[in-house]
Amino acid sequence: MSLETEQINELHWLMEMLHTIDVGLVVLDRQYNIQIWNGFMENHSGMLPREVKGKELFSLFDEIPKDWFKRKAESVFLLKNKAFTIWEQRPYLFKFQNYRPITGSADYMYQNTTFIPLMSATGLVTHLCLLIYDVTDNATNKQDLECVNNELAILSQTDGLTQLFNRSHWESCLQSEFKRWCRSRSPSSLVILDIDHFKNVNDNYGHPVGDDVIRHLSGIIKKHVRETDISGRYGGEEFVVLLADTPLENAQIFCERLRKEVAQSIVTHNDIELSYTISLGVAEVDLSIKTYEAWIECADSALYRSKENGRNKVTLHPKQA
Amino acid sequence: MSTPLLICDDSNMARKQVARSLPDGWDVDISFATNGSEAIEAIKAGKGDVLLLDLNMPVMDGYEVLQAIVKEDLPTMVIVISGDIQPEAHQRVTSLGALDFIQKPVNKNKLTEILSAYGVFTAETKEVALEVKPAASPSVSKLNLPPVSAPEKVDVTKKQEESVGFLEPDLRDCYQEIANVAMGRAGDLLARLLDVFVVLPIPNVNLIEVSELSMALSAVEVNESTSGICQGFIGAGVSGEALLILNDSSFQDVATLMNYNQTLDENSELELLMDLANVLIGACLSGVSEQLDMSFSQGHPVVLGQHRKISELIATNSARWRRTLAIEISYNIENYPIKCDLLLLFTEESMKTLNNKIAYLLD
Repeated sequence: MSLETEQINELHWLMEMLHTIDVGLVVLDRQYNIQIWNGFMENHSGMLPREVKGKELFSLFDEIPKDWFKRKAESVFLLKNKAFTIWEQRPYLFKFQNYRPITGSADYMYQNTTFIPLMSATGLVTHLCLLIYDVTDNATNKQDLECVNNELAILSQTDGLTQLFNRSHWESCLQSEFKRWCRSRSPSSLVILDIDHFKNVNDNYGHPVGDDVIRHLSGIIKKHVRETDISGRYGGEEFVVLLADTPLENAQIFCERLRKEVAQSIVTHNDIELSYTISLGVAEVDLSIKTYEAWIECADSALYRSKENGRNKVTLHPKQA
Repeated sequence: MSTPLLICDDSNMARKQVARSLPDGWDVDISFATNGSEAIEAIKAGKGDVLLLDLNMPVMDGYEVLQAIVKEDLPTMVIVISGDIQPEAHQRVTSLGALDFIQKPVNKNKLTEILSAYGVFTAETKEVALEVKPAASPSVSKLNLPPVSAPEKVDVTKKQEESVGFLEPDLRDCYQEIANVAMGRAGDLLARLLDVFVVLPIPNVNLIEVSELSMALSAVEVNESTSGICQGFIGAGVSGEALLILNDSSFQDVATLMNYNQTLDENSELELLMDLANVLIGACLSGVSEQLDMSFSQGHPVVLGQHRKISELIATNSARWRRTLAIEISYNIENYPIKCDLLLLFTEESMKTLNNKIAYLLD
């Protein structure tokens, strides 16, 4: 084989490779007219090279935002610098279908792209090469992972029965609220409440009914709290609500509203109808309270006094300072 | 009579490069200064009828030297040789009285051409032995000029061994100068992109453990909220990553400068960050690759994180990283509180090739 045919062969192979490589290759001129369009682009777009040759990119693909694309491209022409885009900033340049239309979960192909300046013999950038990489699997994996992590984060903080915060997460919220109070000293109140004679409900009607009562109460709590309040399930039939920016008097109003609504409502489970009451204790944080645990104790002892004094009551922990 | 010539640059390598790029057979009496105030002393002592001046230097920079020369009416002709190639830098030095501006790395033909153009050097005065006098003033460094024919060799093998532990001052100086030129390229593009004047720092070169990385970032406070992009690069025998870290409070100003009209959200901030990364990382790498005569492939950029503390940005991969040659460049934009940190991190293995390349540069 002569040297010349060898070179021609090599060139031919190179062309063949560029045509079949699983990466999109496009060459654009200064006016954004398509000059080269490889097999990847042909197959994914359904447009033959001769159909697109010489046509303006934006006239064929209206999913490409002209201003955005030109901003990237002009800096490549001007600064003779490569530019990259990633799927996180824009999921795709060309709206192609997912490579796996049946088992894939994404609706379209996520793409990373590279803009490469192509220089003429005079050193001017006259053309631009676009490389289109399919990164659908990377993107969906990362998104799935983020999704799962978010769900896990929520799950680990939530009580399954009531969808309120669970005890450990609620306690860490209380801890940071206590720290915030130490700095800001704006009033903050803590409510602990407990279903009266809950054991009787379980004993007389069974646990499914008991669960309904707990869900019912958590529904009422959710209805009455503001977005900034933090409510949680503290124990079996015990609930806590942290009322940020709320002095004792206002917390009392909140508690009375809650107590009355519970006392007036009826829980139905199949043909069973029953009513129940709650007892509440409130403590506003003050200088005599040195830790968040002590704050809980204050509210808890107020709750104890509500129970002592006949239940279905609100008791305030007297302010010390 | 030989012409008293003063070369002022904080980099030893740059001083040598300039000295070796002087026209052949020029009868000069060379002194060196490592910063602006040494240069002023030397001019006053009559050692600097011609001054070849760098811009970015500690203690007293090139701009301040030019101002002092005008103010005190010192008898010297100044040609600036700098990696800062922003058109505005050029303009500023000529308006301060510099004859001309030469871009680093300095080129012998260009220097000869300019020296001839201003009549500082005439080709007739030749065949005079180069005589190096140690500078008399104590503040002027008493460097010996490497003879043009036999340049001082850097003992590379010795340095390679030592480089594992710490960075030799000579080598650090070389890296710093290479970074300086590369940074100038990137700064120039940034200035053109944003239409501002970019204040170029003195690059920070260190051999550090990756665990020290977040502490090594001088431009970013530990508790500030930041966003970052990271991009891998590789060339024959040299590989590493480029990190671009932008202070979150800078986004609004960058958006204004880049004419982003939309309101800023996490997505448009990522756009801005990517645009900055494309320009700065690309230009810096091509500056390095040009000087070392090698080319780099760049991987796709990866988002390190948005709105996070610097330690969280970097912590993600820290288990895999070990010791690294870190070049930190903190860009500041004149009149805007924009803080932008570009880090070039080279793997420990890359240093062997890098050191060889540098030895070649010094030859």
